[in-house]
Amino acid sequence: MKLSAEHIDFIIKDLHRRGLVVESIHEELLDHVCSAVEARMYGGVRFADAYAEVLRTFGQDEGIQQTQTQVIQSENKFKRIMLKNYFTIALRNLRKHSFYTFINVFGLAVGIASCLLIVLYMANELSFDRHHKDADLIFRVESEIKFGANHLMLAVTPGPMAEAFRNDLPEVEAVGRFWNDGTMLVKRVDQNIKETRIIYADSSLFRVFTIPFLEGNPALALRDPFTMVISRSAAEKYFPGESPIGQTLIIENRDAFKVTGIYEDMPVTSHFRYDILLALVSHAYHKDEAWLSNNFSTYLKLRRGSSAAQLESKFTPMIDKYAGPQAKAALGSDFSMEKFRASGNKLEWTLRPITEIHLHSDRIAELSPNSDIAYIYLFGAIALFILAIACINFMNLSTARSANRAKEVGVRKVMGSLRAHLVRQFLTESILLSAFSFLHALAIAWLVLPTFNDLAGMSLNFPWTSGLFWGQLTIAVILVGFLAGLYPAFFLSGFKPVNVLKGNLSLGMRSGLVRSALVVVQFSVSIALIIGTIAVNQQLKFIRNTKIGFNKDQILVIKDAYGLGDQVRAFKTEVLKDSRIVSGTISGFLPVTGTNRSDHTFWPDGVQPTEENMVSLQCWRVDQDYVMTLGMKIREGRDFSLDFPTDSSAVILNESALQLFGITGDPIGQSINTWSGDLNQPDSKNAKKYTIIGVVENFHFESLRQSITPLGMFLSRSIGLVSFRFNAENTEEVINSVRETWEKIAPGMPFSYSFLDQDFEYMYTAEQRVGELFTIFAGLAIIIACLGLFALTAFTAEQRTKEIGIRKVMGATVGSIVFLLSREFGKLIIIAFVIAVPVAWYCISTWLDTYTYRATIGVVIYLLSGGLAFFIAWITMGYQSFRAATTDPVRSLRTE
Amino acid sequence: MHSPELLKGTLQTIILKLLKDHGKMYGYEITQRVRDLSEGRLLVTEGALYPALHKLEAEGFLTTETVSMGKRVRKYYALTAVGRGSARERVEEFVDFFRTMSQVLRVQMN
Repeated sequence: MKLSAEHIDFIIKDLHRRGLVVESIHEELLDHVCSAVEARMYGGVRFADAYAEVLRTFGQDEGIQQTQTQVIQSENKFKRIMLKNYFTIALRNLRKHSFYTFINVFGLAVGIASCLLIVLYMANELSFDRHHKDADLIFRVESEIKFGANHLMLAVTPGPMAEAFRNDLPEVEAVGRFWNDGTMLVKRVDQNIKETRIIYADSSLFRVFTIPFLEGNPALALRDPFTMVISRSAAEKYFPGESPIGQTLIIENRDAFKVTGIYEDMPVTSHFRYDILLALVSHAYHKDEAWLSNNFSTYLKLRRGSSAAQLESKFTPMIDKYAGPQAKAALGSDFSMEKFRASGNKLEWTLRPITEIHLHSDRIAELSPNSDIAYIYLFGAIALFILAIACINFMNLSTARSANRAKEVGVRKVMGSLRAHLVRQFLTESILLSAFSFLHALAIAWLVLPTFNDLAGMSLNFPWTSGLFWGQLTIAVILVGFLAGLYPAFFLSGFKPVNVLKGNLSLGMRSGLVRSALVVVQFSVSIALIIGTIAVNQQLKFIRNTKIGFNKDQILVIKDAYGLGDQVRAFKTEVLKDSRIVSGTISGFLPVTGTNRSDHTFWPDGVQPTEENMVSLQCWRVDQDYVMTLGMKIREGRDFSLDFPTDSSAVILNESALQLFGITGDPIGQSINTWSGDLNQPDSKNAKKYTIIGVVENFHFESLRQSITPLGMFLSRSIGLVSFRFNAENTEEVINSVRETWEKIAPGMPFSYSFLDQDFEYMYTAEQRVGELFTIFAGLAIIIACLGLFALTAFTAEQRTKEIGIRKVMGATVGSIVFLLSREFGKLIIIAFVIAVPVAWYCISTWLDTYTYRATIGVVIYLLSGGLAFFIAWITMGYQSFRAATTDPVRSLRTE
Repeated sequence: MHSPELLKGTLQTIILKLLKDHGKMYGYEITQRVRDLSEGRLLVTEGALYPALHKLEAEGFLTTETVSMGKRVRKYYALTAVGRGSARERVEEFVDFFRTMSQVLRVQMN
């Protein structure tokens, strides 16, 4: 029998009452129930009984509701409706509070952009020399020499070492040497080009390093004298459009080298980058037998399975075997390596993994200037700090606004939302925000990358096409979103709906403690960074203003004077005819790094040379006009002069040499000895005497990181550089005049020049870069922190609108209200200052310890930094507070 | 009567096969049809049937069509093209499973 309309109405209402509410399933189940009831009624059962029986088959109310839940779940599982819902709600929330969203996104984006750049820089630095196959088996041999007051850490080793290693050490698979002879002139036909990236190399180096060849055979390259291999860019430069194989280039106007191979340009992340490799066998020096001079960079590759430590343990016996006899020959028969070591002296070889050279090595005669791992740590820490400050902003704003969102949480919970749902909701919101920020950050980082490259002196690129980069970025988006959203998510979702909806919520105070702690963290970091910035800049200023002991201003340095050959004197005389040129000097040695250095062993006259009295003296070969041109001060005695023919065996010492030789009384007329022969190639059998004719005041000739070492000036020929002191406003004219003279005397030779004060500044480029980057990032950190503070104050003011209104009605002044609002945060900043000072003090002292000459960082600087942070924060808060305090109380009170 | 546990894994197969043989059907009709075919030994409960139907629909195996019947609305289910292919596969898979089971349990089917 068919059911009547009344019956159907009854069933509809009853099912509704039993909890069947979802529309889509309601209709369907209704039809099902009706059909089942009808079927039973056809069998003669009464409606009421039939309905009751059907309900029983369903499992009563519980069964109905369960069916309904299961249907919804099985649908949702596929369509992911909730996920979509989280997104919709998150988007709406972010749009609704656009002010806070802006602060969050902007702060995070700037923070993340800084992080991205820093990470890019760090990744680049950490990837040095990893492109070689089996990079973990490649080592550089280094030597350490210590005797008497001399202590040398060298990146170079004796010449015969490589051959001895090959014969004596089975663990060594391959070993080879570089010999650096500085810049060279290279020409194909007649136009000389000055090459800086050129070096002599052993053929066996191709078995140590991975240098992919484009043409030619690496196994045969550099085996024969006067052969060379060149890089792709050198090939394009010297032989555009032709095959260079078999062609020749003239080196230093003298030797013709034949090109036998072309290799791919060495990557920028290599601690040596040469465009031209000359066969070391071309030079007689390649069979140098001296074990006591260190001039070759030796690299070796271990056999897999043998360890570096094991190999190093074999070095001491080798030193005794090879270097021992030569030392004995030089120092007399009572010398022995045992006695040498027993008196605290050292001659040691060590291995350094090639991958560590760029960040960990700072030795004499590095193939190129290295970076320092400290910078990696420093900038890594800054990146983390900035990111932390930006994340804290997000956490603070989210929890601070919790009072507004508490009602939402309450209502959601009453409607059956579980805590997990709310956590997901809040996390979706923060991850979405983080994704927005990353997009903006990418754009910002991309825009400022060229500027950053300029500042950092690098050529970094974004790996846009690398899947790994995007993968890491995605992980970072989720991680940052998660970190920033975790605390608010769990904090907000933990509310009890009853309390929230009743309105007795004491959130403000409870969350206030955590929030205050976070603000303190932000400002501690910011203040520490400000102190750091001021300290770094203070030290830089100190370096620039330190009395360096000579006059670096208005000196023009003409480089590569080798090109003039014997004409160099004529050139000097010719240039001096110009009235603007005051004086000139010919010498390859200048008190800035990057110019010639050469040191030899001396001992005071009248005694036998022993380990105790030998002094490693910087020997500078100069001419008669040197001291005058560079403006050094003679303390005692006199300068070199043409009037004294005996000056060829005279020496002018600096004060620190005088002290180290232990010369007492009047130094003038006393003598020091060295092994005879030319200063470059001393003969260790016989001694030669030099008479002291003058003493110059100490002047700085290395970076101020180092103390002033003993130095002696000798009257001898050294034509690398010609320096002129000029006296003119228009430096351009001076350069042009000198250039004309140069071109007249040495046509076809490259003319290059610099100013001594610029070269001097160049010694501190690394420091200056760190200083500039530090300033920028510290500035960003405090901007982001203030952004957070700005929003927090805005929020507090908004919360306290009514209180402010009442206070004003009761007679409070604007001043007292501004004070009231900023007092709380003011306290936090003072606490932050107290925390920041010791941390900053410790870091700065550690950094300054690397300098021999350092600025004093006084209390004033700490107070100034604290004051600055306080002032910036106060302005930030003051604006908001002032706005709140000046609003008309009538309006704020009427908002109810 | 068979245990509902045994029915669980095969319910979707039954639905797909029934719809393949009969064209469109509505929920109650399916339960009745299963009961008739199994001579009362298989009982498909509403709590299992409707979630399964909605899941199959969400996955795109079924389409629906609603027909108004006065105060009630009847919802018919029919196979989509994808569903038709899947019905054949699942029946084959089940027969295969059946054979494996008889081997494992060492029973002879007639």
